[in-house]
Amino acid sequence: MKRFDIVSLESPNRAPLRIEGFLFGEENTEGPSIAIVGAMSGDHINQLYVASGLVEYLRIKEEEGKISGRILVIPAVNAYALNMGEKNWPLDKTDLNMMFPGYAQGETTQRIASRLFETLKGYDYGIILEGRRDQGMCLPYVKLIQSGYEDLECVKDLGMGFIHYRPHEPVETAMLQYNWQLWETKAFSIVFGKNGSIDQNDTDQVHTAIVRFLSKRDILDFHVFEGHKSNILDPNRITIVKASRAGIFISKVRCGTAIKKGEVVGVIMDALSGKKLEKMLSPCEGIVTCQYAHPLIFQNSIAFRIASVELCCQIDAKRE
Amino acid sequence: MGLIEEVITIELPVGESFRIQRCRYAPKKEEGIKRISIVSGIHGDELEGQYVCFLLGQWLRNNPDKIRGIIDIYPAINSLGIDSITRSIPFYDVDLNRIFPGSKNDFLPAQIADGVVNIMKGSDFAIDIHSSNVFLREIPQVRIAKSQEEILVPLANLLNIDFVWVHDAVTVLESTFAHAMNTIGTKTLVVEMGVGMRLGKAYGHQLLDGLLNLMSHEGILDIEPLDVRMPIQSHVGEVAYLNAACPGLFVPAIEHCQVIEKGSVVGHIVSALSGEVMDEVIAPISGMLFTIRAYPIVYEGSLLGRIFGKTNGDSQ
Repeated sequence: MKRFDIVSLESPNRAPLRIEGFLFGEENTEGPSIAIVGAMSGDHINQLYVASGLVEYLRIKEEEGKISGRILVIPAVNAYALNMGEKNWPLDKTDLNMMFPGYAQGETTQRIASRLFETLKGYDYGIILEGRRDQGMCLPYVKLIQSGYEDLECVKDLGMGFIHYRPHEPVETAMLQYNWQLWETKAFSIVFGKNGSIDQNDTDQVHTAIVRFLSKRDILDFHVFEGHKSNILDPNRITIVKASRAGIFISKVRCGTAIKKGEVVGVIMDALSGKKLEKMLSPCEGIVTCQYAHPLIFQNSIAFRIASVELCCQIDAKRE
Repeated sequence: MGLIEEVITIELPVGESFRIQRCRYAPKKEEGIKRISIVSGIHGDELEGQYVCFLLGQWLRNNPDKIRGIIDIYPAINSLGIDSITRSIPFYDVDLNRIFPGSKNDFLPAQIADGVVNIMKGSDFAIDIHSSNVFLREIPQVRIAKSQEEILVPLANLLNIDFVWVHDAVTVLESTFAHAMNTIGTKTLVVEMGVGMRLGKAYGHQLLDGLLNLMSHEGILDIEPLDVRMPIQSHVGEVAYLNAACPGLFVPAIEHCQVIEKGSVVGHIVSALSGEVMDEVIAPISGMLFTIRAYPIVYEGSLLGRIFGKTNGDSQ
């Protein structure tokens, strides 16, 4: 294992920002290469945990002679934010994952992104460990955006239950996944957990999926059990349950719960009077893939996302 | 007197509602007339637009007989942010001007964006007034994506601003309010002026004159056009960026909006700890310093200023 600084940036008063990389395998190996990027935001603790856990796991596997490719793990991109409970770059609040491919002569976070991206270019595969951008938590899923260079087949080797495969939004053209794909790395994101926390089940699941991917792509000489046959979803195949009222939100289900049509999935209470304002019922049979994760909910917030087999079948039937 | 309405209301969890308010001024007969939306506070730390909204409202209250179109004033789109010095949508920490056109089926900030587009849909014009952020001070300027140059530059020239900056739009700017509105046929100009969290009275009055002039030209106000300044056009020159070469404390050597010579000193980056001057910031071209850093702490790369000069380097 080689531990090295990818970026070192002096600060006016703080200790320098260091983005550290952990490299496994022989530099000149003919085996495939992969880079795994952890916490880009200061609240991506699950992502930090998975990435640092992989560093320790791969260190042992390397000692056992099991690494047949080249693996770079970057557990924390935004250590400055992690160290002070901020989400974004602490001075100007810019999101590092909105700065790609970066610009070497640009502003501070553009320069950080540029130096990082120089290191990430040229890898065969790229995994970005992402948190959610809302107040939700979700079943771990793969986010694969359509840039014209994406590779859906390789993503299936993770063996994860759901792959969200959809066109990219304008805002995503400044994100790492899109740019990495344009530079011909088979890049994708794994989105999981609730920001600011560690979920042991979710992180275990993501760790296992990455190890499975490494094994199936001949980067790691180690056998693992098969995972799921992934379900490919797009936003049209997800049923949304919104909060018609604001207040204290009590969820009655967990992500991954199979629910029936008409089942109570949550309750909203008036935060001052305690009166029950809304009983939220599932409009369909399916699996809860995502739910609002803060105890106070805004009116019209999305409380649940439900993957419905019936809806998927209807869409497929229409297409046929 | 204008009609004040809550055009977007969303319950908040504990005994309050998020609201976007509008003050509408309209003539008695509303058929077949033009409509303009004056928008401020998409970023909660930018307050110059609030003052312009006040000045415009004050003028309209004093001159109701001049109104020939619908004038909608939205002083505070991110009302939670404005009242709490928060640039983004609080709670979600999301930049509202990066999620347009929004969606009814996405998280709350996207629903707000969707609501904003829907209430302003049908406006002939929208003027989206921004300050700079807290880091930079800007002269009054309009920024226009190259694809919109032909339609919007003539309109911007009416606004009594100092500079029209036509730029190559990056795709991410498709997520802005202005792009969303221009896409649905509302001619939308983005004004940047001043600095975040502060008011500049002179800039407010300057833009008020520009708004009155634009509305005169478009038949929204029955007044004579004003004698406004013709802005410098970005296509006649180039913009040079001054980025910090090292971290430290930036101490400007000259005032904002000065014409400077190539090679002159714009400022210094100093170390508060050692007492050393770490770097001397030199103008790479001659021209007008139209942006200068207002917040002194800098990292490598922090923007210190922008100079607009003729392509051959001559000052404007």
